[in-house]
Amino acid sequence: MFSNYLKIALRTLQRNKLYSLINLFSFVLGLTIFVFGGLIVKYELTHDMFFPNSDRIYTVGTQMRGDVTAGTTGRNNTVYTAVGPLIDAELTEVEQVARALIRSRVVAIGDEKFNQQIRFADPSFLKIFQFDYIAGDASALDQPTGLLLTESTARRHFGTADVIGETVTLDNKLDLLVTAVIKDVPANSHFNSTLLWDAEFEFMAPIAAYSQVSNFNITGGFRGFNSMDLTYVLLPEHLDLAWLEEGLGGIYQRHMSAREDKYALGLYAAPLADANLAFLDNIGLPVTTIIQLLSLLVIVIICVNYTNLATAQSLGRSREVGLRKTMGATRTQLLLQFQTESLLLVSSGMLLALACLEFLIPAYNTLTGKGLLLDYGEELPGLVLTTMLIGLAAGGYPAWIITRSSPIAALRDEGRQGQKGSWLRSGMIGLQFAISAFMLALAAIIYAQNLVVEEGSYIFPRDETYALRLNLIKLEDKASRLEILRRELERIPAVAGTALAFTVPFDTKWGTYQMSRGKEKDDAAPELMYISLSPEFLELYEIPFVAGRNFSRALGGDRFVKGETEIAHVIINERAVSALGFASPGEAVNQRIYAQEDSEEGIEYLVVGVVPTLPHMGQLNQLIPQIYIWDEQRFNDLSVRMQPGSDMPDSVRAIEETWKRVIPEYPISGLFLSDLFMQIFRVFLAITASLAGFALVALTLAMIGLFGVTAFMAAQRTKEISVRKVLGASTWQIVQLMLWKFLRPVLVALLIALPCAFAASSLYLRLFSDDRITTQVPILASAGALAVSLAVITVISHVLRVARASPIVGLRYE
Amino acid sequence: MLTLKNLTKMYQTQDIETVALNGIDIAVAQGDFIAVMGPSGCGKSTLLNIIGLLDSPSSGQYFFFDEDVAQHSESKRSDLRKRNIGFIFQSFNLIDELNVADNIELALLYQNISRSERRDRVADVMDRMGIAHRARHMPGQLSGGQQQRVAVARAIVADQPLILADEPTGNLDSAHGREVMELLRSLNDEGSTIVMVTHSPAHADYAKRTVNLFDGEVVTDALRAA
Repeated sequence: MFSNYLKIALRTLQRNKLYSLINLFSFVLGLTIFVFGGLIVKYELTHDMFFPNSDRIYTVGTQMRGDVTAGTTGRNNTVYTAVGPLIDAELTEVEQVARALIRSRVVAIGDEKFNQQIRFADPSFLKIFQFDYIAGDASALDQPTGLLLTESTARRHFGTADVIGETVTLDNKLDLLVTAVIKDVPANSHFNSTLLWDAEFEFMAPIAAYSQVSNFNITGGFRGFNSMDLTYVLLPEHLDLAWLEEGLGGIYQRHMSAREDKYALGLYAAPLADANLAFLDNIGLPVTTIIQLLSLLVIVIICVNYTNLATAQSLGRSREVGLRKTMGATRTQLLLQFQTESLLLVSSGMLLALACLEFLIPAYNTLTGKGLLLDYGEELPGLVLTTMLIGLAAGGYPAWIITRSSPIAALRDEGRQGQKGSWLRSGMIGLQFAISAFMLALAAIIYAQNLVVEEGSYIFPRDETYALRLNLIKLEDKASRLEILRRELERIPAVAGTALAFTVPFDTKWGTYQMSRGKEKDDAAPELMYISLSPEFLELYEIPFVAGRNFSRALGGDRFVKGETEIAHVIINERAVSALGFASPGEAVNQRIYAQEDSEEGIEYLVVGVVPTLPHMGQLNQLIPQIYIWDEQRFNDLSVRMQPGSDMPDSVRAIEETWKRVIPEYPISGLFLSDLFMQIFRVFLAITASLAGFALVALTLAMIGLFGVTAFMAAQRTKEISVRKVLGASTWQIVQLMLWKFLRPVLVALLIALPCAFAASSLYLRLFSDDRITTQVPILASAGALAVSLAVITVISHVLRVARASPIVGLRYE
Repeated sequence: MLTLKNLTKMYQTQDIETVALNGIDIAVAQGDFIAVMGPSGCGKSTLLNIIGLLDSPSSGQYFFFDEDVAQHSESKRSDLRKRNIGFIFQSFNLIDELNVADNIELALLYQNISRSERRDRVADVMDRMGIAHRARHMPGQLSGGQQQRVAVARAIVADQPLILADEPTGNLDSAHGREVMELLRSLNDEGSTIVMVTHSPAHADYAKRTVNLFDGEVVTDALRAA
């Protein structure tokens, strides 16, 4: 019996090659997305589960105060460095507490010298997380000079994993001895998470070592939140999250609320499992839920599409059903027979989808550095169940419809009646087009805005300016050597100029000062972005003066020296002019302004010049009020501008040689401004690409769906079309008739989708407050036009065939 | 009016060639009423389809008002069809979703006739057929005989000179069958040319001339003894 079902199913699929292929394609597409989405979600949600005790480990975070913008939970998964020791001292039931701070330091191994992200942790860190030790044990960080390496790190730098007792020099002054080597931490740990930071688990040193090479106090402090710092707690079996949060509440009351902390509103704890996605969850972006919903939506859409196409097809087979019923087939047998077809299609689709995933998963892992794995042993029951359920869901309705009529009616081919459910079908198509047009329009607008941002970034000579990072150089070395380095670099023929500053364009590090025109306290005083720069900086970036003058080495009072200068000369940009309430740039010059910060008490700031407002944080094109001061203590970056047309790789080599000659004890770290720009900008490109990808999938599905509905309606109306043709309707008149019927839901969908896309894109464009595209409406219109054209093509490609068919066939009923 | 000369129609399926019509010679004059008879599979419907310009012959000539239309394209045939030929089918072929008046109007819809004139002509023809009181009914609410009346109305509303009827009484009981045949005869009396396929010798008697087909060939073509 079953082989007969299978035979019929195979032959039906074979006879309608186009339909079968379309259905197969949509199942492959849908199942690939569904299974892939499921794997991604599972992967992201099971991070760190391989650690014993992972269910007892928590991270501590801060509930932030103040202007939390919409879409964020106000949670920050880091805490002040003082909180860890406080938990240790006051919550004595806690089994272990440890901080791990990630810092970039200069590391020397033999002759090799490089900048390295190091995790500085409390010794108890190794009691919380049980690693696989190749050598050494969990006491590795007990000595303040201990050092733990991962296996691949040891091999990379020493050529072997047998490195216990080897010396690694930190910041040119502290020798650490390797005390443990562990197996590499698996990719699915938050330590290696690619979601937030780019700092794989390689080196781990005691926090005590860090305090020896920096001014870090081992008991921590109440200043600043660093997204690289996490604090971990291991609870005993009998205590839970609620207990921990209560304890944290007490610590906040005793130590933080009294300090009138400007940023923290409270402390919270989260299970270790959440650490991986904490950043995204905290900004209110439930990525895994979104992925789950989207892949579910895709499957639902595909089932509906299949149902439409299959129902359309089965209408032509009512005679077969009638015959089988006459021969004594029961309804159950017939249902089973028709279900065989959909199950066969879904199973083949699943096999092909798995084949696609065999390519997709490695590509995804390479691209994102993740370790996604399709473990057939583990996933098989789920995959089989999914296939069965989708097969039953997709094939159920057509099978039910076709088998329900009485044998005589079926033989008379009366199954073609009924417009019931047509609004549902139109609605589904409309919904699909709405979603795809929405995403398409959004992707197009973000793309257009990307172009504007990229174009705007050329306001700075990004391709010919090389930024040397100086943050690892000690202050005393900066004072004695930076000027020499600068002058030596300027002797390179290809170098057009150099300038020292706190930052370079496109860099995201920044600090602000609240500045006001009066000396008295003013909470509403504007925040100005505070940048130290040398007189050459504004010249090098060709920033003109609107009023006043640049800093000058010839005049005495321009340079700020902390502790000496009482009247600091500053330059502000036009945005700051208006923020401070000056009527014009000219009026601001020679005026005094004051910082609201206590630390700057007693200093007056004298405006000597005004420059135009430039998109310093190029990625968002935001125009921010800025204040520039010449404070050599705060120089962190050296901009080196090349002569236009010079050989860039050659010039970089020359810069490196000069660096090695002047400050050999520090490894060089530099990059072109264009690369710096790309570091952030690629996120925007990635957003555009994934939106466009989703739009493409959604559009494909919508077109398949539309094709299905067209087929369905055309099959229902074969007789009508034939009669109209016999009465003289031309092919084109038939096409028009059908086209209008199918375009209506699409047009309604666009009427809903495009305004939504307008609203969503306006929300997005708000990020680019100062230089945004003005072509939003034409872009939306084009996206809509594209969706309509594709819909028209889809409908016509099918309707044309039906309309061209000889009417005799449609009328032959005898 | 129509002349078919040595007309042949062959169907080819894979390796079998079936001859549906083989060397047909028929002439139809204005005002004729012809009944085409013959056993199942003799080529009656194929002949009607070719005469009705729904299908084209494999070879031979077909003069439609002195114009050889044998090799005309579908769009040309469609154009001739809508101006000159009205169709009546065994299974009525009314559109279930349209009411009686709309079904009749369909025949005028593709002929560049203004809406008001269409409405007048539909009203006229419904009066003539005695179905005016059914104008708003859907086909499903009518008896077979009434449905065929609607179909006849649709066939004549555009004043086409030629009416083709493919077993118009096949789905009707004898009383309704007679009624439809009377209707066709009165149309013929008013000047319409009619070609009708039928199985029933009694209904063939309404025609002025009977053509007998067998295996795709004309075996007898005789005027009915009056």
